[in-house]
Amino acid sequence: MEQSRRIRVLVAKVGLDGHDKGAILVSSRLRDAGMEVIYTGLRKTVDQVINSAIQEDVDVIGVSLLSGAHLSIAEKLLRKMEEKGIKDKLLIMGGVIPDKDIPELIKMGVSGVFTQSSSFNEMIDFIRERVNKAESK
Amino acid sequence: MSSKEKEMEKIREARKKWEEGTLKKNLKRLGLEENPVELYTPLDLKDHSFLENVGFPGKFPFTAGRFAIPVLNALWGRGKTLGAGKAIRHAFGYSGYGTAEDMRDFYIERGKTPARGGGPNIAFDLPTQIGYDSDHELSEGEVGRVGVAVDTLKDFEIIYEPFTGDMELDKIASNWTINGTTNIILAMYIALAEKRGIPLDKLRGTPQNDILKEFVARGTQIFPVGPSMRMTRDTITYCTEHLPNMNTISICGYHMREAGATRVQAVAFAFANAMAYFQTVIDAGLDIDQFVGRTTFLNFGGGIEVLKEAACRRAARRVWAKIMRDRFGSKNPSHWIYKELGGGLSGYWTCTKQRPLNNLVRVAIGAVFSAMIGDPPILEPPFDEPLGLGHSVEARQLASDAARIIMEECRLADVQDALAGSYYVESLTDRYEKEIFELIQKIDEMGGAVKAVESGWMKDQVTQSALEYLNKMETGEVIQVGVNKYTEPDEIEVMTPRTSPYKIKRIEDAERRQIENLQEVKRQRDNRKVQSCLEKIENAARDEKVNLIPFFVDAVKEYATIGEICGVLRNVFGEAQ
Repeated sequence: MEQSRRIRVLVAKVGLDGHDKGAILVSSRLRDAGMEVIYTGLRKTVDQVINSAIQEDVDVIGVSLLSGAHLSIAEKLLRKMEEKGIKDKLLIMGGVIPDKDIPELIKMGVSGVFTQSSSFNEMIDFIRERVNKAESK
Repeated sequence: MSSKEKEMEKIREARKKWEEGTLKKNLKRLGLEENPVELYTPLDLKDHSFLENVGFPGKFPFTAGRFAIPVLNALWGRGKTLGAGKAIRHAFGYSGYGTAEDMRDFYIERGKTPARGGGPNIAFDLPTQIGYDSDHELSEGEVGRVGVAVDTLKDFEIIYEPFTGDMELDKIASNWTINGTTNIILAMYIALAEKRGIPLDKLRGTPQNDILKEFVARGTQIFPVGPSMRMTRDTITYCTEHLPNMNTISICGYHMREAGATRVQAVAFAFANAMAYFQTVIDAGLDIDQFVGRTTFLNFGGGIEVLKEAACRRAARRVWAKIMRDRFGSKNPSHWIYKELGGGLSGYWTCTKQRPLNNLVRVAIGAVFSAMIGDPPILEPPFDEPLGLGHSVEARQLASDAARIIMEECRLADVQDALAGSYYVESLTDRYEKEIFELIQKIDEMGGAVKAVESGWMKDQVTQSALEYLNKMETGEVIQVGVNKYTEPDEIEVMTPRTSPYKIKRIEDAERRQIENLQEVKRQRDNRKVQSCLEKIENAARDEKVNLIPFFVDAVKEYATIGEICGVLRNVFGEAQ
């Protein structure tokens, strides 16, 4: 499929969790897949992430979390996205997220959750499909 | 030609004959171009000398073992009262959640903890580790999550309430997984001891305090590298003078290994970091043998290719002995070994979320090799680690039992350094020694670990290795059962019940309760005195030579918060980038 422009992704670490191997590897793989990736670095607030997402005009916000704070952070992110009128962007999450929390995250409005049991290709396909769908609307 | 050379010549000829005869025939039969398995012979150990390369346990170069008798292993299950079968649970004692009250109740309910003397092995939450108070914007959602929340001395007083009488501070040892805020936590322990009238020279414990690896892998650095190194120097010089029984640091390779470092990188980087810490203390005027006995290593991490791990461990013993003796000129041979809590591991990173009970097999295999090289068979992590924070009591039970089976049924500790003399293991050990030294040399050429961390080089190296591993996973060169192989629909998930050791409900409102506690402490304290202490810290921080710990002790006694103290330090030092 021809793409009008490269998919832009903001990969973010929100909160205080310092484990960034996952975020770095995801960034690298998404770049390999032809996407433009902006990695925020560690310890960003929800406001900082949302502002970067707007400034960088990304299609996807990917948040990596291993600290167990995923539910409260997802809630804050989604509220802020609503406030700033960027609900159309995909919000995806990854990291150590117990399976039992995934349905709740999806219900809240997170587009996709990718954990250790997901492959990079699954994530890449998901992003391509969802972004293209949004653009063709 | 010496008799040894003659013998080698004979082996060389025999090998050639075997390759051209038996091997070739079998390769042809199987349709293979080359031999898929390696074969090691005495030819791979041409320059190997038992006395120089291996030697006797507890003697230089310590390849055969850091101790003449690996006490924990050797006496395990022999009716001695070293508590070996129990001591294995030491690492599992690592726990922490919620507020100080939650932890106090946790210790009361569990009775004695399995750590030395029954002391606590505390996990702190991220705000505490990164120097933010529980009511800070960045702390939202994180309070009491990955460990217990500590804002002020009040929290420490509550956590340590169960530790009195025959578990008083002078009878237990405490472990704190704390790095950037080590000296403030240490100041709280000192303040607590002073309030209870316990002499400081009786205090025992181990803070992690390894800040360089935070920059590389774990991510809780607060200040830039320079001031961070000063804090570590302060811990070591202060404790050497006032708390002679306190360990000052627990240097880790394992977080870097987890983040992707190869086994050689993990060992070389941990040693390079250790050398950087030691140098700052030597530069402050101490002799190596004055302080190094109170420095420890946590461990170097591990992997599932256990023969390679075993060889690398044996090489690490040798490398460290040479560094201590030859480079630092330590005169005391007991300082030529690294003091390590752990031992060989199969690695947390090799554990999978898919079919998680397989992790029990993985860590048990790791523990087998650990026991075979004379290290404790620590089964870390419990199998359910990848499923989220907080290991179940079932997972811990299975891990403990596996360790006991390894020691008391398999009797792996009946022989010391069982792998010694193996052509394969010895040649690998020699190779890893060379590679570790080469990497350390490279870091030396950069100006040492401080520079290698500051420039981001060390982290880049680790990331590069992580990417290389990922590529191997994706091409199938590296296999993880249930992840990139054996995932067909007829394979099934196997699971056991899992019970949390924590009161989960308490985590949910820990943040609210902790913030209330903090506000209450702030109402009760003398804010003028707190301000004056903070000003003194800020002034003292400006002079690089000043040891800040006495100022921290004064401040925490007035119930200054960790966030307030780190706040003034951030003003002076700036923040880690």
